[in-house]
Amino acid sequence: MVTASSISFGANTTFTSSPIPKTKPLFIPHSLKFTTGNGRAAVTFQRAVSVIPKATSADSRATKEPTATFHGLCYVVGDNIDTDQIIPAEYLTLVPSNPDEYEKLGSYALIGLPATYTTRFIDENETKTKYKIIIAGGNFGCGSSREHAPVALGAAGCSAVVAESYARIFFRNSVATGEIYPLDSEARLCEECSTGDVVTIEIAESRLINHTTGKEYKLKPIGDLGPVIDAGGIFAYARKTGMIASRN
Amino acid sequence: MELKSCSNDIVIFFLNSQTDIGPDCCHAIDIITCNYWPAMLTSLGFTVEEGNILRDYYNASSAPSLGGLTVIYQPQKDLGSFCFSSTSQFSVNKCKKSAVSKKIVSVMAPQQSERRPATTGSVKNAMTLTEKIFSRASEKPQLSPGDNVWVNVDILMTHDVCGPGSFGIFKKEFGENAKVWDREKIVIIPDHYIFTSDERANRNVDILRDFCMEQNIKYFYDIKDLGNFKANPDYKGVCHIALAQEGHCRPGEVLLGTDSHTCTAGAFGQFATGIGNTDAGFVLGTGKVLLKVPPTLRFVLDGEMPDYLLAKDLILQIIGEISVAGATYKSMEFVGTTVERLSMEERMTLCNMVVEAGGKNGVVPADGTTFKYLEDKTSLPYEPVYSDEKASFLSEYRFDISKLEPLVAKPHSPDNRALARECKDVKIDRVYIGSCTGGKTEDFLAAAKVFLASGKKVKVPTFLVPATQKVWMDVYTLPVPGSGGKTCSQIFEEAGCDTPASPSCGACLGGPKDTYARMNEPMASCLSLQVCVSTTNRNFPGRMGHKEGQIYLASPYTAAASALTGYVTDPREFLE
Repeated sequence: MVTASSISFGANTTFTSSPIPKTKPLFIPHSLKFTTGNGRAAVTFQRAVSVIPKATSADSRATKEPTATFHGLCYVVGDNIDTDQIIPAEYLTLVPSNPDEYEKLGSYALIGLPATYTTRFIDENETKTKYKIIIAGGNFGCGSSREHAPVALGAAGCSAVVAESYARIFFRNSVATGEIYPLDSEARLCEECSTGDVVTIEIAESRLINHTTGKEYKLKPIGDLGPVIDAGGIFAYARKTGMIASRN
Repeated sequence: MELKSCSNDIVIFFLNSQTDIGPDCCHAIDIITCNYWPAMLTSLGFTVEEGNILRDYYNASSAPSLGGLTVIYQPQKDLGSFCFSSTSQFSVNKCKKSAVSKKIVSVMAPQQSERRPATTGSVKNAMTLTEKIFSRASEKPQLSPGDNVWVNVDILMTHDVCGPGSFGIFKKEFGENAKVWDREKIVIIPDHYIFTSDERANRNVDILRDFCMEQNIKYFYDIKDLGNFKANPDYKGVCHIALAQEGHCRPGEVLLGTDSHTCTAGAFGQFATGIGNTDAGFVLGTGKVLLKVPPTLRFVLDGEMPDYLLAKDLILQIIGEISVAGATYKSMEFVGTTVERLSMEERMTLCNMVVEAGGKNGVVPADGTTFKYLEDKTSLPYEPVYSDEKASFLSEYRFDISKLEPLVAKPHSPDNRALARECKDVKIDRVYIGSCTGGKTEDFLAAAKVFLASGKKVKVPTFLVPATQKVWMDVYTLPVPGSGGKTCSQIFEEAGCDTPASPSCGACLGGPKDTYARMNEPMASCLSLQVCVSTTNRNFPGRMGHKEGQIYLASPYTAAASALTGYVTDPREFLE
């Protein structure tokens, strides 16, 4: 079982409890210097500071302030939801680093779920989901290493996943991209919650509240994981913590 | 000090397997080992293991009746210190001024200049094969499962599906004019969506080409003429098979790829795992990745492999045993007499599906079979590593292979294991033989063997997709044993199979709608869903196309047998 605290990125991590929504721009430092393992500088360059938004302004959360909570409707899935169900292979021709194709990818999120899921994740003729939070069983995201999977969920408008456990590469890709916040539940929430329930996740308190049923559930603490997603993914985090040396 | 004057003799002993360690030195050694052990020896820079050998030598030589033992002494170069195999014994005749019996095989010269004292007394941290690779690649002599370490990458592979995204991230993060960390350590292999009219898919191969030209990437297995794969001299096909065939897999190294089945390369005794675009973008710029050291599960496979079983059956057995999350975040190490007798391609099949059990990586320790395979493929030096005898494994599973039967994984999970013979009433609609899992040369030879044994024609459409150009050539040129010189292709034709297709990943993962052999229709008839027996690696809903398609994962033997009957069939129907 993969836990949220199973990734640590260095001795000097500080936990900040404010997850940054994906619309927050990535700031690239003025200059960067990298060294390879044998000490040779691999890349040195200077560039003007530029702001690169992760999603276009079509995102309805564009004006949301960073918070320590997630709130919204939840979508419930079972065990072993693999990457082919999250984003079927025929859509992998879309290149996630291309903003238009990023949006298109989002529109196909979870379209691979079998017909037993009578409620769609994204309504017909829509490109964004109304479910901010996914609640899943075990081994969520198993299968391929395709980063398109967490990216599609994030592009669709999902903010967080609360799963009983994750597959390794999917979890890693979620953290690296900062697209969705992967949380671990203590209990099998996929049996406690139903699609359409209104839930709130409080990161600092490690708690999920289901307003529709009135029940509360304990989540596993984020631990060292938080700062990476807060920073906006592994690159931003690596710069922030000085893992990638910046010049001056 | 008496010992210091002996130290040269002792060094020469290790160097030449011959010595003039006289009785005085022997006596000195005795005093030391009994009274000052181990501090004295280690202060001179000898390791615990070397001290043991010296002590054994002394003991044997002072008891002449022991002269009959023979030694196989195989030091294995490991992080600069001696590491002895468990079969070390000693053969000595006399102590003074005598030649030690020269049964010593390949002695490694001890480092003369920089001798680091071994950790005194306590056992050096015993490590598994995977831990040792991490240790070397991160330049940390000691580490444990759970540690997060920055690791130097030896090879990074990407393909047409994930390459464009990875390059996009690389440029966004490192700059439009950034250069990759090492143009010779990146291998770009278009293979997923190649023979299609899908414009985006075709464009993605162009994006690969543009990047390779710009960065002067040494290894780019390009394809331009989609109508005739043979017209493309550089094109290979399925990335994991191409990596092996082109000599990019080497024992002891770290190989990452933007594909979950990158773990296939673990068959070569290296650490190989799949990563996403963002990690790949990071590696492109820095040559490093942050990885957590996985604990290791050990799978001991012993017994004679029955001639109706293949490596695919073995891994289906294991996945069925531990489930699709049984190896999450763990390394899977395959050892035992059965494994030792597997060919490289069979070992690749075994390691290929570790990701289906959630595994981070799979390894088979390198041995003579590995070295022979690599002989004509790579001239780069490599250094295999092996699990220490006292290494800690999270769990150990033992299998008596002689007792296993052919298996399938039923829809819709690779761990939905069942005996092939118990599924004999499952009517099927098609058979697919291909992919990195089951589309290699030996896989086709295996299928041909079953068709040959039957002599009949297949009852359902049987799709054959060789993994690479080389495999395709083999299918058309290699004689099938016992056939009187026929090639696989001839046997396939006589059996009524489809003509072997252009090498690529094909329908293993569905792909664009016009992909050859894709399962596009849900229904076989008005009453039944389409059922496919496939030598591929995953059978989750929609894997090969339509989400209602029913996929039974199987070995090439089982797939061929099923094609002949039109039902899921145990290959013993034809092979015994």
